[in-house]
Amino acid sequence: MIIRKKYLFYVLAITSSFIAAGVTAIDSFVGGQSAFKYDPWAFAFSIFFVGTIATFLISLVMSVKLKERSIGAKILDPSFKRIRLIQKSEIKFQLIAGLMNAINTVGYCAIVSAVQDPSVILSFSQVVILYLLLMESITEKDVPTLVEVQSSVIVTFGAILASISLTGEFKLIPILIVFIILNPTWAVFSIYQRKLKILRIHNKPNDAINIRFWNVAFSFLFTTILLFAYDVLSGSNHIVAGFTASISQYYFLIIAVNMSITFFAYVLYIRALGMGKASVNNAIRASTIIFAIPFSILLLQLGIITQFSTDPVMLIIKVIGMILIVLGIVSFALTVVKAYIFVTVKPGRPMRETMQKLWGIRGVTHVTITTGEYDFIVKVSTRTLMKGYERIIRKLDEIEEIKKYRWASVLKDWENI
Amino acid sequence: MISAYILITMQPGKTDKAIKEMRKIENLAKISIIAGEYDIVVRAQVKNLEELLDVTDKLQMIEGVSKTTTQIIEKEISLQ
Repeated sequence: MIIRKKYLFYVLAITSSFIAAGVTAIDSFVGGQSAFKYDPWAFAFSIFFVGTIATFLISLVMSVKLKERSIGAKILDPSFKRIRLIQKSEIKFQLIAGLMNAINTVGYCAIVSAVQDPSVILSFSQVVILYLLLMESITEKDVPTLVEVQSSVIVTFGAILASISLTGEFKLIPILIVFIILNPTWAVFSIYQRKLKILRIHNKPNDAINIRFWNVAFSFLFTTILLFAYDVLSGSNHIVAGFTASISQYYFLIIAVNMSITFFAYVLYIRALGMGKASVNNAIRASTIIFAIPFSILLLQLGIITQFSTDPVMLIIKVIGMILIVLGIVSFALTVVKAYIFVTVKPGRPMRETMQKLWGIRGVTHVTITTGEYDFIVKVSTRTLMKGYERIIRKLDEIEEIKKYRWASVLKDWENI
Repeated sequence: MISAYILITMQPGKTDKAIKEMRKIENLAKISIIAGEYDIVVRAQVKNLEELLDVTDKLQMIEGVSKTTTQIIEKEISLQ
């Protein structure tokens, strides 16, 4: 089915955010349990120990074939066939993503053990967009525009306001953990998950289910290594505590349920990452904060978190913060200009070198050498037409091999997903 | 696998209906309405030239399509 790509992208990212909000609520519940409340290290170990088993079992179920296609391909990712061994080309990316996820999870566990209201925990994580914009400007040769910077600042301020707990608390240590550990590691983690998703395995698109399974497995490996080193150096025994808690039937079950739900949130997130830049994806994921509210109320109803303040000022501040986040997301999403450039080169000029020159232009997302009327069809993506002129047209004029080119702005497009 | 861009010129006022028809064609990875010399660009992904012929045939059968130009991709670099 050919649908507008951005619709599927938003559906995936928003569904993933909704599930993630639910997962955070469960995490707060599990993190508040006696076995983990004062030992976030053991919590992180249990998450990945039980998580690897749960993810493997779900991936096996997803591999079952129903009328020629696997269940996973039907309901989660059309590229998925069956669970498979990790490929050589994936190892480097999975090692980095796994290490980042392990560090991120230990930090995250420390926070959920300390703060019980998930909407407070999630807000500051949204500032990750700033880190991503900086990294993408390096890795994807795409310098952030004024709109991107503005939107990020709006989202950031929104996150700061939305993070004020309804009980009026403002805890410094968890926020420092978010800024120093959670956000940078999540940013690198997202970028490498995206690299994995756009990788081609046996000349076919990589699938989100195998990426997720191997990521959990590598994260488990790194968490164990980190905790082992920490245990040896500090004389503590977090691994033993984590393992003991994991094999207890009660904890095994609740963490397995939690990690199973997390699996779906991640698979959808990874699929969305294959379609759009990590920064835009995370901007949409900022909606998690809004989705976290009903879950916070649910936790309150169940008596797991303390009573909310009824101070209307607090509520107004929080609502303003959320509106800012949504505004930031919308302005992010609606400001992309895409275009095709049809290029003809002078006779006898080297095509490969010209291709590299075209590829070197900022904003160019595809370069193809074609047979027929034009020698190259180039696809570009820019935030504004003015930037398109300054960054792309001027550079094209500098390429001596080009005889003529025609710019064709994309007015609307559909993609086969 | 062969990929190709097919550049399409349309008769005025027939684009919306034609797009609806194009979205039903298999082997089309992407359809873009553009402003400029051409009106629509589609990207086809086919196993062989025979299938490409099928795709161009189907496109030309659509009411409103007045001309197609096929550009077969020989080499590609892309972010995704």
